[in-house]
Amino acid sequence: MFHVYRNPGMKADFPDWIRRNWPSGKDFEATRDLLDDLGLNTVCSSAQCPNIAECWQHNRATFLILGPVCTRNCPFCAVKSGRPHTVDPQEPHRIAEGVSRLGLDHVVLTSVTRDDMPDGGAAHFAATIDATRSRNPETIIEVLIPDLQGRAEPINTILDAQPDVFGHNIETVPRLYPEVRDPRADYRRSLEVLDTANTHLPRPVVKSAIMVGHGETPDDVRIALNDLNAVGCDAVFIGQYLQPAPNLRNVVEFLSPERFQEYSCMAKAIGIPQVVAGPFVRSSYWPQAIPLGASQCVTK
Amino acid sequence: MRHEVKLSDIGDEAGRHATVAFWHIDEGEEIEEGDDLVEMVTDKAAFNVASPKSGVVIEKLVQEGDQVAVKDVLCIIEF
Repeated sequence: MFHVYRNPGMKADFPDWIRRNWPSGKDFEATRDLLDDLGLNTVCSSAQCPNIAECWQHNRATFLILGPVCTRNCPFCAVKSGRPHTVDPQEPHRIAEGVSRLGLDHVVLTSVTRDDMPDGGAAHFAATIDATRSRNPETIIEVLIPDLQGRAEPINTILDAQPDVFGHNIETVPRLYPEVRDPRADYRRSLEVLDTANTHLPRPVVKSAIMVGHGETPDDVRIALNDLNAVGCDAVFIGQYLQPAPNLRNVVEFLSPERFQEYSCMAKAIGIPQVVAGPFVRSSYWPQAIPLGASQCVTK
Repeated sequence: MRHEVKLSDIGDEAGRHATVAFWHIDEGEEIEEGDDLVEMVTDKAAFNVASPKSGVVIEKLVQEGDQVAVKDVLCIIEF
């Protein structure tokens, strides 16, 4: 059921369940100030994640490495696009320090796409994994990587650094790739990235994520889930696309929590071991809260 | 004592604006810390601002439909 807010200046109407807490409080501010003090970028802030309040209040953050500017321009993404920044060779150590000071037992490292770099930033990713593990040996390290143009060598550079969890998001269903993704993204190539991880030894946990609400049908989602299962995905996260800014892609549909439950059941029936589905689910949302082998539909 | 309730800065250098959707409380009413104070809307979602103090809302500085920026004062609570 929608509650429709009819007021002058209102930009959008949201269903009841598309509601979060505005970030505030001492715990949130402590995390914010620590990240600012260390000069660390987060996808939480750069992508305007609606879960930022909940995560930062609990000392959780997903780090965005290789600078805050992406060389691609996906129509759904709020991360800045354009001329990328020079990579700071000290960033891996600052990330390791941030993980230590936040006391993270599970950290997610993601990045912008760096098509300007010969290796796509893979060596920097590996250095960040190494520095983080050296400083925080007990912390589970999860990476969420761009497609690295599908090149095996840089993908294996990251895999050889032995992240515990290897993530690469297909973001949407294959039929909608032309309208939802940057033209340089390729659905089949993204599946190959995941399959590279699936066949690597030692093998990490392999993970991907889809945003729904772009106009995909259940059959579209079924195709994508089958493809993810075929390349060995251990975990799939499904969340609602939310439009970050007026110049970015509109939401086509707000899926009810019941629809996410249906997709969760669909994925489980296909054979994907772990599924987390819900309006505010993101691939790095509380990753440590979901034990492997468990699946759930997160309605809030 | 008076407390200015501001829209918190989330640390995003790009800045953040939100529109006041509706107030949960009127001027002169009492509120407890943590209670719903005002609902804000961005392009992305609706957000609830909780009261940081227990006291009386003595003045609302923004009205429904107003666009506000982070660090703007939303209201004043006397506690």
